[in-house]
Amino acid sequence: MRAGTAVQAAKRRSASKASTVYLFALPATLLFVVFIAYPILWVAGESLYTGTADGRAVFAGFANYTTILSDPTFWIVVRNMVLWGIITIPVQMLIGGLLAYFIERHTHALRGFFRTMFFLPVVTSVSVISLVWVQIYAPYYGIAQEYLKHVGIVMMTSPIGDPKTAIYALIVVNIWQWTGFSMLMYIAGIANLPSEVLDAARIDGARGWRLGVHVIVPMLSPATKSLLLLGVIGTLQTFPIVHLMTGGGPNRASEVFGTFIFKQSFVLGDTASGAALSVIVLVIALVLSLVQIALLGARLSPAGKDEP
Amino acid sequence: MMTLLSRNRIRGVVIHAVLFVVLGFWMIPQVYMLSIGLRTPAQAFDAALFTWPVTFDNFVTVIRDNPLGGIFLNSLIITVATVAIVVAVSSLFAFSCAILRLKGSMLLYTTLLTTLMVPLASMVLPLAILLKTFGWVNTYIGLILPYAALGVPFAMVILKAFMEDAPRELFEAARVDGCNAWQTYWHVALPLVRPALVFVTIWQFIVTWNEFFLALIVLTKSEMKTLTIVPMQYSGFYMANPGALFAVLTLIALPLILLYVLVQRAFVRGLLAGAVKG
Repeated sequence: MRAGTAVQAAKRRSASKASTVYLFALPATLLFVVFIAYPILWVAGESLYTGTADGRAVFAGFANYTTILSDPTFWIVVRNMVLWGIITIPVQMLIGGLLAYFIERHTHALRGFFRTMFFLPVVTSVSVISLVWVQIYAPYYGIAQEYLKHVGIVMMTSPIGDPKTAIYALIVVNIWQWTGFSMLMYIAGIANLPSEVLDAARIDGARGWRLGVHVIVPMLSPATKSLLLLGVIGTLQTFPIVHLMTGGGPNRASEVFGTFIFKQSFVLGDTASGAALSVIVLVIALVLSLVQIALLGARLSPAGKDEP
Repeated sequence: MMTLLSRNRIRGVVIHAVLFVVLGFWMIPQVYMLSIGLRTPAQAFDAALFTWPVTFDNFVTVIRDNPLGGIFLNSLIITVATVAIVVAVSSLFAFSCAILRLKGSMLLYTTLLTTLMVPLASMVLPLAILLKTFGWVNTYIGLILPYAALGVPFAMVILKAFMEDAPRELFEAARVDGCNAWQTYWHVALPLVRPALVFVTIWQFIVTWNEFFLALIVLTKSEMKTLTIVPMQYSGFYMANPGALFAVLTLIALPLILLYVLVQRAFVRGLLAGAVKG
């Protein structure tokens, strides 16, 4: 009798458990469905329609995509994004990695100070940073042209005002802002290197550069792969620095996906081509991410601890 | 032995010197910003990193003339609410995957993870239309919920990994003692992953506070604007007065910098703890 009620009670409990435990997963799922999945499906659908003069939406197949792909600005954007990625990502890794190495392995009392100071650009509002750099680059009263002429670099105009140099000038700002992030990722990696391996390598005679290049660099590859993955996604969503410093100009020379989408969707109000562009950026991001995850085993978290 | 020791010391001094020189160059933009903010109108356009004398007049002017308190409050409300939702929602979800191991939770987890590969640039148009449909343009909630949805996956990854690393016996013991799932979550799981909660809180705070793209589109009324999107306004307003412009930019950048300096130790500790199991 007692055993029977116990079993019943246990059954009731597990029944109520089964229904309420799903509440743990519900809020995250709801947020995802409403604010991520639904908007993506909507934009994918919208990209196949085109508006008419009387405000009706007409199915257009891939017409919006062909229009975008035949727009010369699109190919300027692609070129700029490739430049952005292949310059920004390795330079940030190199400077961030070197800083991390020297800070972690050769400083003690000042370690926290250096870690914090080099990270400050990351926590400084990007709109503030952009305006400061506009001032730095400014002709006549900016400090870049004033000080760089002492090392033989003469700037007649602002580098962001020249179509040939604008994108590089913006890349410099981006590198400056985000190198602290790469540094911190490598610091996490270096601080957690197993000391037995380092000691063994040192006993084998590996020191200085050889220890760094042959032992530490390979052991930091999880951090490097995460930075590559985050760097590619970060490149594709570049917006504030470009929007605030050049607006994609001069003459669209520094246009990136973010500013292009912004103009098509919100300045021109051309939702159809804005939607097609959004889908293109999304597909590029997913393909590049999945390729890295599949080929390199790259991970999405900074700690390099989770599965992709 | 002596020569080795002193050679190490010399190397230490050289490395510190190099780091300080690099840091000096690295800090130029911030130093320059503060320096222009401290100039008199006569020096404002000097092409120099430092000028003398300095004045605090610009700071007095911009604080007196601008509703910086209200803008700061907008940033604070949006950021704190987003962080609270992200931490609550992602820890509940991580618990359901890592501890309860609900049927289907891993599939859901993988689905939510795809969010991390979605560039915000491709989300602004559909989100803007969605928020317009909801009537949420120029509201706090119109930024808070999308920010939360974009932030949850990253926090969930970190928290799930920490919960999986916690000793399972503790959760078994809680069950034997008669704790239900909610009690186990609150009294066992959350305290165990505290460093991760701190890390996720700080990171989400930084990201939300500095978010620009969506805020630019959703917040068009000036009384709703956040600290991140007002600098453009000021750059037009104070075009002829760089001293005032850079004073207000300094004030806008300051809160998050000060906060980070205060919490950086806990932040780095969380980051280091997360990497232990490579």
